[in-house]
Amino acid sequence: MVATEEERGGAGGAPPTSAVSMRGITKRFPGVLANDRVDFEAAAGEVHALLGENGAGKSTLSNILTGLYRPDEGEIFLNGRPVRFQVPRDALDAGICMVHQHFRLVEPFTVAENVVLGDHRGEGRTFRLRHGLIERRVAELSKRYGLAVDPRARIWQLSLGEQQRVEILKALYREARILILDEPTAVLTPQEAELLFETLREMAAEGRTVIFISHKLHEVKAVADRVTVLRGGRSIATVAAADATLRSLAALMVGRELSGGSATRERTAGEAVLELENVWTQGDRGDAAVRGASLVVRAGEIVAVAGVAGNGQRELAETIAGMRAPTAGAVRIGGKPLRGGDPRTAIAAGIAYVPEDRLGTGVSPSLSIASNLVLRSYRGRSASRGPLLRLSRIREHAVEMIRHYRIAAPGPAAPARLLSGGNLQKVVLAREFSGEPRLLVAAAPTRGLDVGAIETVHAYLREAAAEGVAVLLISEDLDEILLLADRIAVMYEGAIVGETTRADASVEELGLLMAGGQDHHAD
Amino acid sequence: MNNSLLVVVLASGVAYGTPLLYAALGELLAERSGVLNLGVEGMMLVGAVTGFWAVQRLHTGAGLSLTAAMGVAALAGAALALIHAFLVITLRASQIVSGLALTIFAGAAGLSSYLGNDLNLSDNPARHQFHAVFPATVQKWPIVGPIIFGQNVLVYASWACVVAVSLYLTRTRLGLNVRAVGESPAAADAMGIKVVAYRYAHTLVGGAFAGIAGATFTLAITPQWVSGITGGAGWIAIALVIFAFWRPSLCLVGAYFFGALQALSPQLQAREIRLGPTELWTNTLPYVMTVLVLALVSASGARRRLGAPASLGLPYVREER
Amino acid sequence: MRIERRLRQPRWLLVAVPACSLVFAFFATGIVLLATGHDALSSYRQIFDAAFLNSGALGQTLIAATPLAFTGLAAAAAFRMRLFNIGAEGQLYIGAITAAAAGLYLGGKGGPSAVAIAGMVAAGCAGGALWGLIPGILRAFFKTNEIITSLMLNYVAAYLLTYLIFNTESYWRDTTGFNASVFPTSKTLPDSAFWPGATIHLRGGIVLPLGAGIAVLVAILLWALYSRTRFGFEAQVLGDSPRAARYAGIRTRRKILAVMAISGAIAGLGGASQVGDFAHSLDGDPNGLQKQYYGYTGIVVAALARYNPLAVVLVAFLVGGLQNAGNTLQGADFPSGLVGVMQGIILFSALGGELLVRYRIRLGRTAAPATEPTA
Repeated sequence: MVATEEERGGAGGAPPTSAVSMRGITKRFPGVLANDRVDFEAAAGEVHALLGENGAGKSTLSNILTGLYRPDEGEIFLNGRPVRFQVPRDALDAGICMVHQHFRLVEPFTVAENVVLGDHRGEGRTFRLRHGLIERRVAELSKRYGLAVDPRARIWQLSLGEQQRVEILKALYREARILILDEPTAVLTPQEAELLFETLREMAAEGRTVIFISHKLHEVKAVADRVTVLRGGRSIATVAAADATLRSLAALMVGRELSGGSATRERTAGEAVLELENVWTQGDRGDAAVRGASLVVRAGEIVAVAGVAGNGQRELAETIAGMRAPTAGAVRIGGKPLRGGDPRTAIAAGIAYVPEDRLGTGVSPSLSIASNLVLRSYRGRSASRGPLLRLSRIREHAVEMIRHYRIAAPGPAAPARLLSGGNLQKVVLAREFSGEPRLLVAAAPTRGLDVGAIETVHAYLREAAAEGVAVLLISEDLDEILLLADRIAVMYEGAIVGETTRADASVEELGLLMAGGQDHHAD
Repeated sequence: MNNSLLVVVLASGVAYGTPLLYAALGELLAERSGVLNLGVEGMMLVGAVTGFWAVQRLHTGAGLSLTAAMGVAALAGAALALIHAFLVITLRASQIVSGLALTIFAGAAGLSSYLGNDLNLSDNPARHQFHAVFPATVQKWPIVGPIIFGQNVLVYASWACVVAVSLYLTRTRLGLNVRAVGESPAAADAMGIKVVAYRYAHTLVGGAFAGIAGATFTLAITPQWVSGITGGAGWIAIALVIFAFWRPSLCLVGAYFFGALQALSPQLQAREIRLGPTELWTNTLPYVMTVLVLALVSASGARRRLGAPASLGLPYVREER
Repeated sequence: MRIERRLRQPRWLLVAVPACSLVFAFFATGIVLLATGHDALSSYRQIFDAAFLNSGALGQTLIAATPLAFTGLAAAAAFRMRLFNIGAEGQLYIGAITAAAAGLYLGGKGGPSAVAIAGMVAAGCAGGALWGLIPGILRAFFKTNEIITSLMLNYVAAYLLTYLIFNTESYWRDTTGFNASVFPTSKTLPDSAFWPGATIHLRGGIVLPLGAGIAVLVAILLWALYSRTRFGFEAQVLGDSPRAARYAGIRTRRKILAVMAISGAIAGLGGASQVGDFAHSLDGDPNGLQKQYYGYTGIVVAALARYNPLAVVLVAFLVGGLQNAGNTLQGADFPSGLVGVMQGIILFSALGGELLVRYRIRLGRTAAPATEPTA
């Protein structure tokens, strides 16, 4: 697709001064180049979408714009004037407000109290809080923009959609010129999403700039005027939404480069090890995160679940691993139903789980590497005798694992939190493999790892499959999936929306499915 | 009628309850900002001894002496609170351990006794003390006479404080900010509120209140200095804040309730009334009720409405930038 | 100035920081002494003598240290799993009550009876464990904050203790005898319920109370429990990362109940020791046991010992020495309250030093942050 320069909204041919313009933004974190000379520009009076997968650099870019991060290189211009933000407060004062995925609301407070909190202009300067006045103002704003919410209600009484409206009201109250929303429809029903789009269009019509971060194609098409696609930390293209199709956007988002060759090999799949039948599971926020997922994984095959993070993958993996109980549907291992919500049963049934949150869930950070290597198997005979731990055996086992998997560590007694990401992942993999599992669930196993570590992980996964283990790989990385998987399923908004074999898969199709391209549910 | 058990107990209850009320108000402010300070007993004792010392040393009239003494007591309390604040806010130490350390440091076997001893304060009664404000004729009015009009200015000032703190928390911007800091420091920080400053300020004010509460003992209730004169009142004040669900108005009710309970025992003995097990229930009822109500609140998820400030006891660490 | 969490805790730091804190504390206290016109060195000398060197000092120190060891161990057992049990005070009282009852019931004439003593130990543990289970159950099943509930129960236990002796003709109260009619007195335990002590023939004989010996045994058992058993492993994981604990299939509720019961039992055992070793009766005087604050001091002891059971015994001994010195040296010659001041400053220094162990301080603005981005 062609990158087009924008000429919209102004008179005649001359491009108007953009409301916000970011040029050559570069931001580095240890081991990762999050933004690579990104150019981004949005005009007043438009809804501009930032499209891209996780890791594409959208969040980093918006965090720079709101003053949370400072760019290593590059400049920001507001209405043509250069600005520099030292603290988030500066960005707020400059009229830039962001609605995050995780709301910054004080739960016991009322809507009005949240809206006015921390505002130090105008009404904000007064010592006395005039509740009546504030509530009236909030009610006015909410009526004008169609954001129905009771100013006196307490946050904990509100649904997530209503809470989001409060966040938007905060921005409106502060007369934000630039409003950024990060994946706002993740918590909304389709009807609420429509209402939101109307509100956003209205705000844009007033001359504000709305920046809409998303990975969902049909939404971007529905609400945006222009779309900027980011991939791998770079800005790829900026197009008019009207000129683009879902396919074209998907192609830009996902890209066409494949690394290495596609290593197809004939694997004979054995009997079904994992069967998911119409599984529904609740997420953390009380909504359904997994909605009727059905899948089969056989012994010796690698089935990949592709999808952008946040579409229910974590909850699906946790359901299989027993950390969450499904609210409907069945999970069967080797034909026998698995009791939900009990990790011990899952472990006993031979399910190994490599969680995506290594440091927070996969290991106990202050405990030694040796202890972590028996974190799930310490009840077994090789690690304990009755109530007592067999410390020397545990230590020997650790030494053996460190050698075999080439884990770079000061020693088996060193605390796990010392290890680098790659080595930590090796510890987790070593632990899960060595238990001789029947099913291995690996969620985002190579996220944040360097090339060498990635190769190693891939090799283990193949090895496991070769030994007859059923492997369920959950990943956002299509390259990785195409490299390893025998069959590929796509997960979107909690359901499996498509399934195909490696041979039949095409990057375009997969990208489309991942971004909701197939309208499989009513919009 | 004014000598009946009820009236006497209530009148004494108000008097005994006043230091509890001051200390509880102070601790309430600190806890609303998210800082638990278990060192109230220590701060009260240091306030008591320094206030007493000031009165003994100043050679001015009663009014000026007493006012200055209260100021000194407040400063002393705040100074101690500063140690706790520095340790738990800046150095992120455990709030429980630091508070207990403060009690040990300043308590009956610590700094307060040290000062009391070194400054030879135990020998004489206070030069000046707080007396009842209203004339004797008013004090003799039935029922309300002793209970309401028989009190000293500290009591009346405490009522003003309850109103002030209540209005502060619910109707001012600063009060809204501090409540936000206590409930969700991350949200408050994101809105540009200086979490650290609020926590320091409220912990120090809490100490000042505790100092004043202690001086109430040595300058009003028993106008002399004895080591450990507060007799555990600081601990009761901590319980009182929880019992009152962090609301100033309930602190008032609770303080007088606890004060009346304290006054009840000696009165019963003097009148040779035996209540048997009832006495045990009345003494322990407030604590048992608090536990039950807290359990119900947690179980029902109404914690957000009635429970402790969500960040109480936890240090706030801002995410790296 | 930036404060960053340290990844690695060098061994030398773990020793150097407490040592330096101690030195700093002595320094600071010395300044306080000098500023108020006392001779710092001579005061320190007096304390040391009174605590350890004078005749009979060690025996007194052991008496002061024994309850602190129990409450310290109780705190350590719970705090290691991030269960903030500050109810050791009340659990100790309840343990004293139940142990005294057992002693009164089982004891008789003659020398120490194994039955009576074992009964007291069991009763003390049971009483303390039950009292500790109340906040435990509330935390495990209703997620109620255990700091508040355990604190409230301390007051309840204190009133109960006073009530049994002062307000009612209870089993524990002595209604015969001349004194009893004048002032509420508690029954003295029968002779065979007196806990024996082992006499060490050094410096004129030091009596090692049975309770002290039991405390050491409990410390060893607790240490072994946490470092060598599955139970301890699970407790460590749960205290470190609740999510990892769930991932590992650890049953959280049972752990909470078990650890609170153990913590309460140890504190209750401390109460039994108070009755059996020292008071030989139930001390319900509001100005007696209840003003010693063994429970709260125990938490501080545990904190100083970094919640390591073996270190707790050592620290309890040292703190006990300090308390003993404070009691012995009351008088004109010695600044009263100095002990509390010293203890407080040592604690403050230790708490402050803790920061240096866990975090590193960087001065000046740094260029790039050290975290990974989330997306």
